[in-house]
Amino acid sequence: MRLILLFAVFVILGLAFESAGARLISFRALIPNLIIILAVDLGLRHHGVLPAILAFAMGYATDALAGSHPGLNAFMTTMVFLVSYEISTRLMTANAGVGATVVFFGVIATTLGTIAIANGFAALSSTGPMLPGLMLQALITAIVAPFIFSMLAAGKRLTGLPVGSARDGHRDR
Amino acid sequence: MKSTFLWRNRVLLTGGALLILSLHLISTGVHPGDLAARPQSVFLEIVSPITGAFTHLSDGASSITRDYFELVHVRQENAHLRDELTKVKADKARLAELEVENQHLAALVELKDALGTNAIAANVIGSDANGISRTLVLSSGSDNGLRPGLAVLANQGVVGKIIAVSPHASRVLLIDDHNSALDGFDQRSRARGIVAGMVDDGVILKYADRSQDLLTGDTIVTSGLDGIFPRGLLVGTIQSVHREGPGLFLAVRIAPAVDFRELEQVLILTQPPPHLEDQAKD
Repeated sequence: MRLILLFAVFVILGLAFESAGARLISFRALIPNLIIILAVDLGLRHHGVLPAILAFAMGYATDALAGSHPGLNAFMTTMVFLVSYEISTRLMTANAGVGATVVFFGVIATTLGTIAIANGFAALSSTGPMLPGLMLQALITAIVAPFIFSMLAAGKRLTGLPVGSARDGHRDR
Repeated sequence: MKSTFLWRNRVLLTGGALLILSLHLISTGVHPGDLAARPQSVFLEIVSPITGAFTHLSDGASSITRDYFELVHVRQENAHLRDELTKVKADKARLAELEVENQHLAALVELKDALGTNAIAANVIGSDANGISRTLVLSSGSDNGLRPGLAVLANQGVVGKIIAVSPHASRVLLIDDHNSALDGFDQRSRARGIVAGMVDDGVILKYADRSQDLLTGDTIVTSGLDGIFPRGLLVGTIQSVHREGPGLFLAVRIAPAVDFRELEQVLILTQPPPHLEDQAKD
């Protein structure tokens, strides 16, 4: 329950920030994709059924404020969670550097995946002009990621949730 | 129990089931009134006031920053005059803002009168949260009579259509989104086509036959055939027409009449446009 509440607060603030930020900053690539950071944190540090459902719920919440196909962000966020989970089960460590790297590729894969599913794989051929902006957004999101991980860790400490990686011993249900 | 296959792979199995559920939602679509649409409506309702607050906060912060830079130049003046100046400037900025808003609303009222249909104005409080699609968040929702499928206009032209509503907020799919399509025609040559958004930004006129007479600078307006937008609303002007290359149709790029980033207020038509037969009778 504490995990749900903590992530609900971060998702609400994150989406409100992204939505309002997009109105103020004309160059959209400068606004980081905060939901991907949250999904990666869940995948790296919380291994269980509840975090998986939480990742899906975060994506579905994103669908309320982004995109035109409900379920698309839910699909992508769940996918990012599963990839992060798989990575964390195979690596000896899941520190902020690993998290930032996963976030970087997660942002790129999510955007291209969203375009491919919504418009067909042929649409990927016309994404060339948007790639520099996408790379910049992925880079900014990856740079911001360690700070968000720290904020999440502080929130977890405050609520009595385990902070370290799921590899270190704890498991969520 | 912990050594069973299901327990060991519970995360992957749950994730897989959720991916299938997501694909089901994508393929079947979520319609207004569906059980699956309720969480989204609730979430939009929760987030929209916070988005509005963020927008107000950042407006305030930028106003303070502006004021600060202006004050640097008058540091030599005494404190009283500085305070007075700040007050006057704040009032002036507020009045200027009100005047701009007033002008926007007056223009929208004029448009509403010209259209002769029921319409309500709404403030734009947010944009698409992840930026892949092109949508806006409005401060009005189903409590104000909004519902999915309604046309959204600005005084400069067509903006888009409502795709989701909650009691106090709604989302608009802009005409430059890659999932948007509306029926339009060239006002000069009467050549018809589908106005659609593109993945890599921009708006095009699809399915315009190669034999059709389309020229750069021509005005594209709505045809009214899509049942959403009334006939004759300005969509934009033709930016380029490419006749080279393979294919049955022309490659026509359109510059939208509306600058979607600058939108502050919009007009939503709460009444569907009359059928063309009715228009013809009138």
